[in-house]
Amino acid sequence: MTALVSHLKLLEAESIHIFREAAAQFRSPVLLYSIGKDSTVLLHLARKAFWPAKPPFPLLHIDTTWKFRDMIAFRDKTAREFGLDLIVHTNHDGLARGINPFDHPPSVYTDIMKTQALKAALDAGGFDAAFGGARRDEEASRAKERVFSFRAAGHRWEPRRQRPEMWNLLNGRLGKGETVRVFPLSNWTEGDVWRYIALEKLDVVPLYFAAERPVVRRGDQLIMVDDERIKLEAGERPEMRQIRFRTLGCWPLTAAVESDASDIDAVVKETLRAKISERAGRLIDHDQAGAMEMKKREGYF
Amino acid sequence: MYVAALREEIAVSSSPETRAQSGAMVHLLTCGSVDDGKSTLIGRLLWDAAAVAEDQRAAVMHASQNRMVNGDKIDFSLLLDGLQAEREQGITIDIAWRYFETADRRFVIIDAPGHEQYTRNMATGASHADVAILLVDARHGVKRQTRRHAAICDLLGIKNVVLAVNKMDLIDWSEARFRAIEADFRTMAASFGFTDIAAIPVAALPGDNVMRRSAATSWYNGPTLLDHLESIDVTGEVASAPFRMPVQLVVRDADFRGYAGTVASGRIRPGDRIVDARSGLGAVVRGITTMDGDLASARKGDAVVLELDTDLDISRGAVLAEVLRRPTNADVLEARLVWLAETPFDPEAGYLLRTGTDLTPVTSMSISALVDFETLASEPAHACAVNDIADCRILLGRPAALDLFADLPATGSFVLVNAVDGATVAGGIVTWAQAGASTVGDNVFVLDQELLARGLCADLGDSPADLAEFHRRAQEAAILLRSVGIPVLIEI
Repeated sequence: MTALVSHLKLLEAESIHIFREAAAQFRSPVLLYSIGKDSTVLLHLARKAFWPAKPPFPLLHIDTTWKFRDMIAFRDKTAREFGLDLIVHTNHDGLARGINPFDHPPSVYTDIMKTQALKAALDAGGFDAAFGGARRDEEASRAKERVFSFRAAGHRWEPRRQRPEMWNLLNGRLGKGETVRVFPLSNWTEGDVWRYIALEKLDVVPLYFAAERPVVRRGDQLIMVDDERIKLEAGERPEMRQIRFRTLGCWPLTAAVESDASDIDAVVKETLRAKISERAGRLIDHDQAGAMEMKKREGYF
Repeated sequence: MYVAALREEIAVSSSPETRAQSGAMVHLLTCGSVDDGKSTLIGRLLWDAAAVAEDQRAAVMHASQNRMVNGDKIDFSLLLDGLQAEREQGITIDIAWRYFETADRRFVIIDAPGHEQYTRNMATGASHADVAILLVDARHGVKRQTRRHAAICDLLGIKNVVLAVNKMDLIDWSEARFRAIEADFRTMAASFGFTDIAAIPVAALPGDNVMRRSAATSWYNGPTLLDHLESIDVTGEVASAPFRMPVQLVVRDADFRGYAGTVASGRIRPGDRIVDARSGLGAVVRGITTMDGDLASARKGDAVVLELDTDLDISRGAVLAEVLRRPTNADVLEARLVWLAETPFDPEAGYLLRTGTDLTPVTSMSISALVDFETLASEPAHACAVNDIADCRILLGRPAALDLFADLPATGSFVLVNAVDGATVAGGIVTWAQAGASTVGDNVFVLDQELLARGLCADLGDSPADLAEFHRRAQEAAILLRSVGIPVLIEI
């Protein structure tokens, strides 16, 4: 097992450079904080980038109202602890229409409660740049993503219109109607994120560590029962299993893995040995062929 | 120039610990076309280095059977094709980034397309690379395309190249053929600035000499591709390189004021004297601040905040530098560039020069030559368009602190930005820079249209070629005048 950590400081410096370039060039940035491990690293790097000052931008969380309860508690604690402004945005119109992950297909639910909500929140805040924790190792279409990912009016991602990026010279001059998504973790892998969390002793949502939790099995996915809104199918009964999560999203759409990794060292070990790619637990990516690319074109992260 | 001073200085060798650190991550550019088996080679590296998850493996195995590209073999290229349009067309049109690691090193693969119409992507990829793998098909040997790829790598300052002679299994692992290809390449590469060239016989599809040593090459004593990549020295910087740090932003907090930036070259310690290259104002470094505590020193690649003993009143764009070996405060420069935009160069368009963290308006710009990277011949020219490599001359609206790329790549490179729509239109390296008259005051000499048309340019008409020549002569005249200390403004 490799315990390679010597490259983490190089990745850290690269990310700090990106944070500063964006903060210096954009009028009104915001950090998209989705509470997971990548957001944890992202926020930590943001704090480092502007130290001893605070990051000069607020956090934005798109709350679908279906996040794990542990996530919401962690979010509020984090914002309080670091004294950061936190904007929480929910698509109340979608909520009123009863859009939910049980009755609607993942693509519809994600579009309305996440993509549309994100676009509305960015527009409402007048933000011209949004930091996100996306990494190039996550998925095929993200492997070609830029560090400064330009979005045309309406937040549309046009893969063919992205700017070439040479050396570490990041050109943030916006054209008319353009906004940008900034990805400081572009060159990190899932293994790097965990090793960095271990190295820097960062606090993460407890759901990443194995514990006995109530789950139901659907197909080959284990879904945790986080509250009473779950719609149990005939004959389905929650059972207690030793599980954890590799990725955190809306609980009905995020599958757990059976694991005994109950502390950070065990999680790092397990991640580096993992045989199943990280996003396999995300049900929304598999909805249709090229699913992530389509979502990105429409303005998803 | 600081180069002379460099030679006089005794090279300080860095400690083993710091070397390991900066070599911990290696950026690999892969050059070659689909036909050479580039995607297969990368796929094979990822596959063998266990960077491919089980569900991805299963998906690729399944899709390979559908496409029947290699009969019953695995189509490794399926691991790489990212975007839908590309999957459908079966070609790679953009740079893709891949990652894998071994026990001691983290690798970043920069996968750029190899066809001529994608020179810009290759150049973009090369700007991030420490090592280039040049892939050739053993059946065809070194081609014009190989020379173009090598030339682009050389242009962007890559020092380490690996010639991967692929598909050796299709020529029965002929040592004679391999040696001939290697010799061809070494002859061709002699005119470039590569410091390390390794030639390795491989067969990417079955995986011979990629990670696993081939049983078919008993005549080959060198390392496998992965062994070589693990041992290659990519530290690349002279230990005594002069200090440079472009200022990204000023950090203020209560009574704290510091300059945030990434060290572009050299080292810095508290107590060192530095200057702001543009204003010439000096200060002493009081502290190197980070969230992890103050540092005793910082070096190339470190993202830090410098606290100074005096307030220099400088902002983003300033370059903090060593006192004795400073950058040139240039307002005219020559550069070699790769045109990246679909819209061709237009002398009337407004451009901005992005160097380090500075953004400087371009007063005028002219193309002097186009370089054919397959023949390495240079032809006088006034125009340039997408994928062209051109020599140009740029006059700036105000001085910018620059180095020559050959001396200090990080402060000797730039991108050119369209001032109207913000597009990045070109990337380039500084080949010559001249400090201009320091201020443009009342004594500025104005080279205007009428003055030029009356004499120097009297023979020129209204054709685009003549107009370009008009600009070129105006710039030449301005440069000559500036070189003898006369401040000049071109108004045409």
